[in-house]
Amino acid sequence: MRNFTRRATGRTWGWAAVAVMAIALSPSRPGIQAQAPAQTPPAANAARPNQIPDLAGIWDGTTRARPVNSERIPWGKDNFPELNERALAYQKVFDEALSPKYDCQPASSPAIQYDPYSMEVTQWPDRVLLRYEKDDQLRTVWLNDRKPTIYDWSIQGFSVGRYENGALLVDTDHFVFDITGFDDYNGIPSSQLKKVHERYWREGTELKVTVTVEDEMFLKKPASYTARWLPQRPGYKLDAWDCDPEAARAAVKMMPPKYK
Amino acid sequence: MIGRRWTALGALAVAAAAILTVVPVIAHHSSAPFYDSTKTVEAQGTVTKFLFKNPHSFLYFDADENGKKVEWQIELGAAGGLTRTGWTPDTLKPGTLIKVSGRPSRAEGSHGMCCAKITRPDGTPIVTGGRVTEEQQPPR
Repeated sequence: MRNFTRRATGRTWGWAAVAVMAIALSPSRPGIQAQAPAQTPPAANAARPNQIPDLAGIWDGTTRARPVNSERIPWGKDNFPELNERALAYQKVFDEALSPKYDCQPASSPAIQYDPYSMEVTQWPDRVLLRYEKDDQLRTVWLNDRKPTIYDWSIQGFSVGRYENGALLVDTDHFVFDITGFDDYNGIPSSQLKKVHERYWREGTELKVTVTVEDEMFLKKPASYTARWLPQRPGYKLDAWDCDPEAARAAVKMMPPKYK
Repeated sequence: MIGRRWTALGALAVAAAAILTVVPVIAHHSSAPFYDSTKTVEAQGTVTKFLFKNPHSFLYFDADENGKKVEWQIELGAAGGLTRTGWTPDTLKPGTLIKVSGRPSRAEGSHGMCCAKITRPDGTPIVTGGRVTEEQQPPR
């Protein structure tokens, strides 16, 4: 009886441990990559060579789809950019407190694509619209040979695109200088010479992108990463971000100042 | 035997609740320059303000520290992310008594925490049933 009791208690603890681990590793916890629930897209969504791929819809870029971004994600040891002397000097003196995100300045490419929120893609004949839940950003990718004007310099730059071999190719330039324009974590700036190239394609139910960034002002050579989105659940609507300046800057006073 | 099994299940519930009430901080900035991940602090007090906003929510509460009133600032996840886990702007109303443990802020003289576990003073979770899954997300 005592042995049975010990076995039964051991089994109970075993199941308890399994249950706790299952909860701890559930997809809703940040930082853990998880499989998406099955969602079958329309057959028309599948990309076919030499045809316009159906990229339209709301796509989930949260931890269901990929690990959350950090100092090492998506830029890890295998793809971390080679910084030139100028970039290293900027990185050395960089003060986190002056990062513009603490005053609600939106993220830019190549960071915004990897932020763990949803994105809506709308395909029109002359343009593709990329709307990001993070920072309420809307990018327009022009498909009609539109040329930039002097008024098109901006945080998100000016984008042109084309369809090729079942993918959408996007080239973006006309970025303004951004002291954290490379990502949110490593204190790497980007310049007005930054160019970002994106390739979007469908792989089954997934939307994938390869983002390549070049910036001769700061990088020795181009750097790139590949990421994926999963279909958002039916009926999902993007939330307004409505960045709050008080909430954006509140954390800064918890950090020891780098400069006085 | 049954008693031991219930004890085990009770321990499971407590462990699950502990996990479920750890509030995520997600993808806006690194926590390392702000908070010390090698330490844990705990405080208990009364909620004064709940800033349920993007890019990060903040919870403020007053605690007693050696007879002096101290205001704590707790950094939480983005409002969008908290909503997906069942939180609302009314989840923590001013006057609510809470117990918080988490990583302490690094700035000298500051009273801040991140990556916090928030419960009522008796250890029960703030959100009934803990976090909800995305599929059970409340209507927007």
